[in-house]
Amino acid sequence: MISFVLNGQTVQVSAAPDTPLLWVIRDHLKLKGSKFGCGMGLCGACSMLVDGDSTRTCVLPLAAVAGRNVTTIEGIGNPDMLSTLQSAWVEASVPQCGYCQSGQLVSATALLSKNSNPSDEEIDNAMSGNICRCGTYPKIKNAIKQAAMDLQKGGGRLQAVAYFDPATSNSEL
Amino acid sequence: MTASTLENEKGTTRRSFIKNISLAGAGLVVGLPLTACVNASQPNKSQTALIPNALLQITHDNIINFYLPRSEMGQGTYTGLTTIVAEELDVNPSKINVINAPVGDDYKNIEYGFQVTGGSNSIRTHFLPLRHLAANARLVIRQAAAQQLNVTLADVKTDNGSIVVNSKSLPYGEFVDRANTLDFPEHAALKDKSQFKYMGKNAPRLDGLAKSTGTAQFGIDVDFEGLHRAALKRCPVMGGKVKSFDDSAVRAMPGVKSVVKIHNGVAVIADHYYQAKNALVNLKVEWDLPETLAAFSSDSTASDNGKALFKTALDSNESSNAYEQGGGFEALKNAGKVIEAQYWAPYLAHATMEPMNCTVKLTGKHLELWVGSQAPDFAKLTAAYYADVPKGNVTVNSTFLGGGFGRRVNNDFVAEAAAIAKASGLPVQLVWSREDDMKNDCYRPASMVKFSVGLNSEGLIDSWMVKRAGPQIMPYVMDDIVDGLMPGFLPNRMVDGLSKAGYSLYKSLLVDHASVEGLYEDYDAPHKSADHVTADPGLPVGNWRSVGHSYSGFFKESMMDEIAARQNKDAVEYRLKHLKGNPKLANTLTVAAEKAGWNKPLPKGHYHGVATHASFHSFVTQIAEVSVTNNQLHIHNVVCVVDCGLAVNPDIVKAQMESGIIYGLSAALHGEITLQKGEVVQSNFHDYPALRINESPNIEVFIVESDDAPTGVGEPGLPPIAAAVANGIFAATGKRLRSLPLKLEG
Repeated sequence: MISFVLNGQTVQVSAAPDTPLLWVIRDHLKLKGSKFGCGMGLCGACSMLVDGDSTRTCVLPLAAVAGRNVTTIEGIGNPDMLSTLQSAWVEASVPQCGYCQSGQLVSATALLSKNSNPSDEEIDNAMSGNICRCGTYPKIKNAIKQAAMDLQKGGGRLQAVAYFDPATSNSEL
Repeated sequence: MTASTLENEKGTTRRSFIKNISLAGAGLVVGLPLTACVNASQPNKSQTALIPNALLQITHDNIINFYLPRSEMGQGTYTGLTTIVAEELDVNPSKINVINAPVGDDYKNIEYGFQVTGGSNSIRTHFLPLRHLAANARLVIRQAAAQQLNVTLADVKTDNGSIVVNSKSLPYGEFVDRANTLDFPEHAALKDKSQFKYMGKNAPRLDGLAKSTGTAQFGIDVDFEGLHRAALKRCPVMGGKVKSFDDSAVRAMPGVKSVVKIHNGVAVIADHYYQAKNALVNLKVEWDLPETLAAFSSDSTASDNGKALFKTALDSNESSNAYEQGGGFEALKNAGKVIEAQYWAPYLAHATMEPMNCTVKLTGKHLELWVGSQAPDFAKLTAAYYADVPKGNVTVNSTFLGGGFGRRVNNDFVAEAAAIAKASGLPVQLVWSREDDMKNDCYRPASMVKFSVGLNSEGLIDSWMVKRAGPQIMPYVMDDIVDGLMPGFLPNRMVDGLSKAGYSLYKSLLVDHASVEGLYEDYDAPHKSADHVTADPGLPVGNWRSVGHSYSGFFKESMMDEIAARQNKDAVEYRLKHLKGNPKLANTLTVAAEKAGWNKPLPKGHYHGVATHASFHSFVTQIAEVSVTNNQLHIHNVVCVVDCGLAVNPDIVKAQMESGIIYGLSAALHGEITLQKGEVVQSNFHDYPALRINESPNIEVFIVESDDAPTGVGEPGLPPIAAAVANGIFAATGKRLRSLPLKLEG
C-alpha cells in the first residue's frame, strides 16, 4: 500500500509501485479530469500539481508520490466553485476540444502560485510543456493575465475546493 | 438587409429540411414518449412535451432540450447551433439543455446523407432549418398562450423562454399542453438581423465550464463496473496480417485476462490499461507484410521509390483531367512567357490530443458503444459488422471528441474494439497509445504538383495549368466504410473485394475532387486546366483539416507569389488584378493589406508575406510578419481577415482562425510523416512536434461585416498560413521554399 495526499485527503492505493500516477488516479481512483496524451511526458495533458509543481504524471511512478501532496484539476475547482483561473478560462472561452485544458490549468495554477504577475515570456516558459492541438494559446495567455489581475485585486483564489495550497506546500512538508 | 434575404440566398426551406432530416409527419406529437429515433436514455421521455421534431423538445416543466446533430470536437458547433435555435426561440442559449444526438436518420448531415461532421458545413447547412424550427415552435407557443390567456396573438410577446402578456411573465412550459392541440405552423417569420439578441454577439462557449473543470466526458473517460482495458499490437507496416503469435510470456502477467487475435493484430485485455500496454512488450507476433507498402522508403533514391515515385508520375503523360476552361493545356503554347515550378507537401498525421479509443459492451446479440466520432452512424455499422450483430441492435453513445481534424471520420478503431469485444467476450475499452496513433493514422496524402503558368504581354495570367501527383482519399474512405454499408449476409471476402474495386476505379478512372481542390479556382485566367495522376505507395490516407486545401493553399499561393516576384510586381496588387471574379476574396485581401500596413515600414529585418485562399465557402487572407536571423525563422505577427458571412458567435470565429493558423503552423514548420520500408518512422511528439505556446505568434483576426448567411470556419483558417510564412521568408532571404515543412537550411 502506498499512501499520499490527493486533493487534501489521504488516500491509500494497492497498485504496483511502478504504476504511472496518471493511471492510478484515472483507473483506480476514478478521477477522469487528468488526461492521457502521450505517455512520455511530452504533451502535458496528464499534468498534476505534486507539492505545488506542475508534473507529468504519465511517467511518474506511484512510489514517487508516497507521502506527498497531489492536486488534480478536481482539486483546483469544480463547476460550482471555480478557481480564479477557471473563471477566466470560462469567461474567455479558452477551451476548444478541451482535452488538454485540465493540464493547461494545472500548469497555469503552478505558475501563478509562484509568480503573481508573469510576463509574456514567463508565461511561455511555464506553459511550453503543455501542447494544445486546437491552438488555444492566444486565449490561454489572455486568460492567465486576466486571472493574475483578478487575483491581485483580491478576492480571487488559486484553488477553490482543496484544503491544500500549492504556494505553501514546501514549507508545510 | 433582412432576415428573409438571408433565407433566400441559401435557398433551403424548412420543407426540404423536414423532408431530408426530420421525423416523418413532424408537427405536434401529443403525449407521446419520444419515438424510437431518439435515444432511450433521453430524460423526460414520459412527460408531455412539445416535440416539433427529433431535434427539439420543450417539456411541461420548462426544460428545453436540443439534440445536437453534429459532433463537438473543438470547432464550436455545440455553442453555434444552440445559439441559432436560441435566437428564434427567444431564450438565452445557456438555458438550453444540449444533448448529443443518438444515431438516427433525423440527425444526418443534410449535405452528405450520413451522420457526419466535417467539411466545415455544420453552421452553414443548419442555419436556416434550425431557425425555421425554432421560430415555428415559438409561434405555436404564442398561439397557445393567446388562447389560454384570452388575448390577441399580437399581445403575446416573448422574452428569454417566457411568454410575456401585459408585463406578466409565464414560462413556455405552461403552454405546452395547449400548443400540442394546435397545428404546428410552417411559415413563422424569421427575425430581422436588427432584432438579433444572441446571434452576431460574443458569448462564452456553452461547453467552456465543463471543459475548464475536467468534467466534460470524452470517450476515454467512459467507465463502468466490469469494464476491461485493451491494448492492441498491430503490424509495424499498416495493413499487415498476423501470421502467428506467442502469448506464453503474457498470460501470467499482472491483470491480464485474455489475449485474442483480430483482423489486424493481437490484443491483450487486462483489468487496467497500463497492464495491457505493458503486456504487449512480451507478446511475440510474426507478420505477413503488405508487399507494396513494405517496399516504400521516403528517403529512397530509386526511380520507383521515395519522392521519385511522385516525380515519375508527375512527369509522365498519364493523367486524368479534373477541370478545364478555355483552351486548356493547349493555350500554354500561345503564351508570351511561361513560368514553371514544382512543389511538395509530405504525409501528415492528425495527432489529436485524445488518442483514438472506443468502448464496447456486447451482451448476446446487443452491442452498446461509447465513442467520440465524427461519423457515429458509420461507427454503428462498423461495430455491427465486426461484432457480428444485427445493425438494429447497436446503441451508440456519443461523447465529446478530444480533437477531430478529420481523423475521427474513420472507424478503424471502432472496428478493432468491436472485434476485441467479440473475440474475448468481455466489455472492453480499447485505448491507443500515442505511438499507435502516430503510426496508424489515416494520413494527409503527400502531394507533388507542377504549375505551368502562361503570361500575356502585360504580364497577366493567360493560362493556369496545374498537375498533381499523389494518393487519393476516396478509395481509402470507401475501404473504411464499405464493411458497414454492405448487407450483413455478404461474406467478408466479397466485401473486401468490393472495397478494392473502389480503389482500382479511383486509381485509373476517377479524380476525387479533394485531390485537386484549391489548386485552380481562385484567380481569373482565360485558360485553365487541373489534372491529377495517382502516385500511391499504399499508406492509408484520409481527411486532414481542410483536406486538399491543406496543401493546395500552400502550392497555389506560393506560386502566385513567385509569378509576381519574378516580374517585380507587388504581391497584393498583382493578386487583386486576378480577383475580379472573386470579389469577397479580393476584399479580404484589401482589408488585410490595410490592417497589416502592407508596404508601410516594418521594424528592421522584418518582412511581410501574404496569402489568400477560399475554401468551404469562406474567404481568408493572412499576412505574416517574419524575420530570419542566422537561419532562424521568427514569426512575429499574423493578420487574418475572414469573410464567413454572418458570424453567429464572432469570438468562436476568431478562435477558429487562430486554431487553423496554429494547426497549420505545426504542419508548415514541423510536420512530416516519413516511411522506412513501409513503417511510419515518427512515433510521438518528440519526432512529430506540435507547435507550442512559445512558438505561437501574435494573431490579429478581423471578421468582415456581412449580411450574408453564415459559412464555415473550422477549416478555412488553415490553408493560407504556410504560404504566408514561406512568402515572408522569400521577402526576407530571397529563398523560395517549395517543400513543406519549411526548412531554411539545405
